[in-house]
Amino acid sequence: MNIHSSEATTAEEAIAAQEALPPLTNEEATQVAMSNTLLTPRFYTTDFDEMDAINVEPVRAEWDKLIAGMKADPNKGHFKKNEDWDEVDWDGMEPRLKAEFIDFLISSCTAEFSGCVLYKEMKRRGSNKDITELFQLMARDEARHAGFINDALREAGIAVNLGFLTQAKKYTYFRPKFIYYATYLSEKIGYARYITIFRHLEANPDKRFHPIFKWFREWCNDEFSHGEAFALLLKTDPDLTETRMNKLWIKFFLTAVYSTMWVRDHQRPAFHEALGVDPAWYGQEVFRKTSEITRQVFPMVLDIDHPRWIPQLNKMQDANVQIADGRKQGGVAGWVKRMIGSARAGMAFLSLLTIPVVHNEVPDSPRLEPAY
Amino acid sequence: MGLLTRTRETAPCVVTISHRFEELSAHVKFTNGAVVNPGDTVQVQGPEIMAAFGEMVEEDRTAVITRASKLEQLWTRATGDFEFMELCEFSFSEEVMS
Repeated sequence: MNIHSSEATTAEEAIAAQEALPPLTNEEATQVAMSNTLLTPRFYTTDFDEMDAINVEPVRAEWDKLIAGMKADPNKGHFKKNEDWDEVDWDGMEPRLKAEFIDFLISSCTAEFSGCVLYKEMKRRGSNKDITELFQLMARDEARHAGFINDALREAGIAVNLGFLTQAKKYTYFRPKFIYYATYLSEKIGYARYITIFRHLEANPDKRFHPIFKWFREWCNDEFSHGEAFALLLKTDPDLTETRMNKLWIKFFLTAVYSTMWVRDHQRPAFHEALGVDPAWYGQEVFRKTSEITRQVFPMVLDIDHPRWIPQLNKMQDANVQIADGRKQGGVAGWVKRMIGSARAGMAFLSLLTIPVVHNEVPDSPRLEPAY
Repeated sequence: MGLLTRTRETAPCVVTISHRFEELSAHVKFTNGAVVNPGDTVQVQGPEIMAAFGEMVEEDRTAVITRASKLEQLWTRATGDFEFMELCEFSFSEEVMS
């Protein structure tokens, strides 16, 4: 019997399986085409001269150790399907859960893919060997993760379309420090998110409705080490975390990222219910872990136990629902609803932003190992 | 570069698409050393490039680079930072589904 390409354990097997499939009928082809999902990564430029000027000498010993670890590539063999990859009953999956889970896969795939594009661009345009080597290694991991998720999507009958390359793309611009803050935080929060789900499912294996969750631990260890590299980069220039202005930026970043995560997670109730996870508990747990980790470089953590924290996050979530309703409704009434929602979301964000932070003494050496 | 005028130029490029189990990636590389600046738009000419699953495709193409005007470039530089949320990953799209 032919195996499905997504059940293959190696690329060769997958190709062979793919080729062995009977040709698609017209009807099937249309159906496949309909579920084509166009990947829409973003394109960025930055100040490459400034990036080239980074000097990792102050953290050389730790840097070399980290890069050697990444080069050794301990996860090389991990992203393969083996006997742990259980069969998924896509047809039997509750439709709402299926839609939310597919959104999860596509969003994650796009994120990995965009990361890969960004890192590769930096590798290509930079000339500082330390930096280009790091970006090359990270691009490798992201492309690997994207390939793995892509395969899970194929199993669900969804083919990603890479046709965006022939569409016009506009390049936006970030200062290097914004790339450091955002990617650092994104990699660390990604680690916290994945490991929290992984540990939860370890304790509640009956809730694991898809095998991809079994791969989360090694996956997030990659995210963790990418975050470590950015932590070291942030350490090379104390101004990045110590000036008054940059401290304000960091607080703004943390608040924006945490609150966006809260809102997005609450918009996927079926996904969280299937995992047996309360999104509020999950959010706080992820914030707690992320805060603990970011103490390695950030001079403050957000006070997530402050009495205003959760109520304002919930207000933001409500406002977001209102904005979406308004958009769906359309017309003048819809527009008014959207504007009111936006104002409420803005107020909630301001309220979150004005919660005093918890100060943190940053250690001399930032290096951490994944411990959760 | 004019303050308000855009210019167009073409650049030869290599497009690489890997649609494989072990790697999903796509990149455009200009072979004449052209550099893209903030606000510029790039479009690869020709039909959509497709790679079947398991394939890695590399094609020589021409890209049209529309250079942003000086004003546009300054604007993109000044405001780009505010789009930083694009760099963050949240596992889910912003769409409200139910």
